[in-house]
Amino acid sequence: MRRVTGFLALAAVTALLTAGCGGGTSASGSGDTGAPVNGGILRAGIPGNPDHLDPALSYTNEGWEILEATNNGLLTFKKASGGAGATVVPDIASAMPTVTDGGKTYTFHVRPGVMFSAPVSREVKPSDFKFSIERLFRVDSGGVGFYTGIVGADSYAKTRKGGISGIVADDKAMTITFHLTQPDGTFNDYIATPFAFALPKGTPDKDISTIPQWRVATGPYRITGYVPHQSITIRRNPTFKSWTPDTPDGHLNGIDVNIGVTPEQSVNEIADGQLDWYFESVPPDRLTQLKAQYPKQVYPFVRNNITYFFMNERKYPFNKLDVRKAVNYAIDRNALVKIYGGQGTPTENIIPPGLGTAYKKHNLYPYNLAKAKQLIQQAGVAGAAVTVWGHNTDPTPSAVQYLAGVLNQIGLKATVKTFDESVYWDTIATQKGDPQIGFTDWNQDYPEGQDFIDVALNGEHIVNVGNNDLTNTNIPAYNKMIDQAKRMPLGDARNAIWAKLDYLYMKNDAAWAPFMNRQWPKYVSPHLHGLVFNGNYFELFPSMYLTQ
Amino acid sequence: MIDSPPVAAGGFRTALRRLRRNPAAIVSALVLLTIVFACFPGAPLWVSHACNHGPSDQNIQGTITENGHKVPVVKNDGTPIGPGLRACYLLGADSNGRDLFVRILYGGRISLEVGFISAIVCVTVALVLGILSAYAGGMTDSAISRLLDLIWSFPVYLLAVALATAFAVHGIAVGPIHVASTSLAIPIVVIAIVYVPYVARPIRGQVLSLRRMEFIEAAVASGAGPVKIMLAELLPNVASMALVFLTLIVATNILTEAALSFLGVGVPLLTPSWGNIIEQGYQTIVTAPWLTIAPGLAIMITVVSLNVLGDALRDALDPHARLRIRQ
Repeated sequence: MRRVTGFLALAAVTALLTAGCGGGTSASGSGDTGAPVNGGILRAGIPGNPDHLDPALSYTNEGWEILEATNNGLLTFKKASGGAGATVVPDIASAMPTVTDGGKTYTFHVRPGVMFSAPVSREVKPSDFKFSIERLFRVDSGGVGFYTGIVGADSYAKTRKGGISGIVADDKAMTITFHLTQPDGTFNDYIATPFAFALPKGTPDKDISTIPQWRVATGPYRITGYVPHQSITIRRNPTFKSWTPDTPDGHLNGIDVNIGVTPEQSVNEIADGQLDWYFESVPPDRLTQLKAQYPKQVYPFVRNNITYFFMNERKYPFNKLDVRKAVNYAIDRNALVKIYGGQGTPTENIIPPGLGTAYKKHNLYPYNLAKAKQLIQQAGVAGAAVTVWGHNTDPTPSAVQYLAGVLNQIGLKATVKTFDESVYWDTIATQKGDPQIGFTDWNQDYPEGQDFIDVALNGEHIVNVGNNDLTNTNIPAYNKMIDQAKRMPLGDARNAIWAKLDYLYMKNDAAWAPFMNRQWPKYVSPHLHGLVFNGNYFELFPSMYLTQ
Repeated sequence: MIDSPPVAAGGFRTALRRLRRNPAAIVSALVLLTIVFACFPGAPLWVSHACNHGPSDQNIQGTITENGHKVPVVKNDGTPIGPGLRACYLLGADSNGRDLFVRILYGGRISLEVGFISAIVCVTVALVLGILSAYAGGMTDSAISRLLDLIWSFPVYLLAVALATAFAVHGIAVGPIHVASTSLAIPIVVIAIVYVPYVARPIRGQVLSLRRMEFIEAAVASGAGPVKIMLAELLPNVASMALVFLTLIVATNILTEAALSFLGVGVPLLTPSWGNIIEQGYQTIVTAPWLTIAPGLAIMITVVSLNVLGDALRDALDPHARLRIRQ
């Protein structure tokens, strides 16, 4: 499924970028019918378990959508659609941080009176944030890459003892200071991701998804029940009192999430009035019909997304450049978009077009099956056994079958292996899983080219568990360029480097076979309003309300 | 279960005569022959003479000409072409632009192969265990019977899914023999295993009653050893029973293959089988119902024919027998 990427972009520039170019976060909003109405339980459906309900571990849209409603960090992306939703604003911090020492020190003042829900039932302290970020390293979070720039983080990652020296929390003064090894223009964005949400000190160093007493909330909702493969129950958090318009109270009394609802089933249940909202997009084959039949209930949602096949450079035969190039030549991107019901735009780029000047369209791999076959012969890997990995949520099985069919056509011997989506993302992100080639996608954590290039291709971030560099790409010269770009202020000059790296990686490495910038049209109940599609947290539950 | 002695090997000619007088048996046999012909020699013939698409050929961007107009095999919104009177895409296409009719023909090969081979394996193993258990008695009988009880104690589909899932990870490795997880041998072995008790126990029961008969005592008295008695005396006397079971269990196995493939643990995804085709089509049952209905009909016709033929065969071989595959 879609992974929510991990690196952050600079918020301010982001806002400008997205506003200026149509944005990666498309808006929408259901035809709001006057003033929002409070009350009601939203009946939601999801095909499988969300990956995790632990802010440190969740790295999927589904998890983040839920956690956005239940937990908070020092900063947050503005709870809005479009370009405005890319702006970072204070959340539990009383103001934006004071940045000193040439951009290497960030000091936050923590707002007093923000409470953890029961059973912890106490005020959030600066040391909880320090604890939460250190915990990321102890639980092998996929988000650690955001915080390795903090002084002492690297050594803490190895020893996991003594804390991160570059995070200084003062509970009396209610301040927390982050010392960075070098300036990083996207640090505020990192702090706004769910990885940096506050958890109370003492939270165990293991997945708390199914440990009710540690699923402690600070936001308007809390998870009161989670039975994997059955249901998630979300109710109002009685200790929550809105402290800023950017962290509003919710309108709904709660959300009942039914796990195991297939995309097809969701359409039928919404049409029958049994379901209000579904975590996934409309099944591709139903979109045309739904648009015609229920035009007011179908909403477009364009994310900054890249959907692609990854090729593991450590695994034969994809350790050969010619083979990776062959795959790029062999896939017909227009055909793949059709498999997704036309819900996307074909692309060969790593960076989505919504990222302004960081996106420069290139056309390195026009569909050319003959060329692909020739490259396979040239590489001397004809007949090599290849297993294509994918998850089981429609239409991904069709996409991986398409790829396997194409690989067979060009001379490889491909089979397909599909996994339940609830375990797929974790499985492909571990070196132990070790897939050769597979399906994946990436949605922005924040709207900046770095979120795509640095997170997913910088070899310095390769880890054994929670690895976002699925291709195990590690090109020192390009890593250096990334590090250089990260030190630059947001803007066109920095974007130019991302665009150049996009080109270089595709031309000289080709470990990705990007094929589509996907859209996520939603079909919802006619009673559901207040839909806000935020580009970073995705659909926002607190904004939703139900009418009769 | 059997409550009267089965016909001996010599009675097969009589049985065949009885079978020929049963119109339902004739019709079902003809239907089965047609299906087998269509799937085996027919499938490549159709591909080479009527339509050049193999079962795995994807043609998402292709078009066909219909009434003078070019029609896309898969529309831009992902909807595949439906059934129509044409050589290519007679039953329509799936979302990957593959010809459904061709896939059903080739899928039938796999479903029938899995059904027949697993039935042969199952009945062979059941014969060995059933005869050995009943003839040897004592500890051997106890051990085999408890093993059969153990398998029987699991719901068939639960056991099949569990075994198939386990084998799907690393395949089967027994000593020097290694079967890859993507091999067709996996569903064949799994399906054969889960139905062994359903065949072995009635055979054991039959052998238990046969071993007390005079012809066995006579064979023992004449100095025949256990192996000779089992092979030359007992086996021919349970052969007709095994034959009836074979026919009935093929149908059951085809259904089991379809169920396992539908659940994603049967035939490997890229290999078309009727179950796989249904699995890949049911997500679009509203907009492209033919993807589910056509393979479903193929399974239904085959299974009904096999059951009718199996019943007729049972009636012909032993009109008093009440053999059933009971789950």
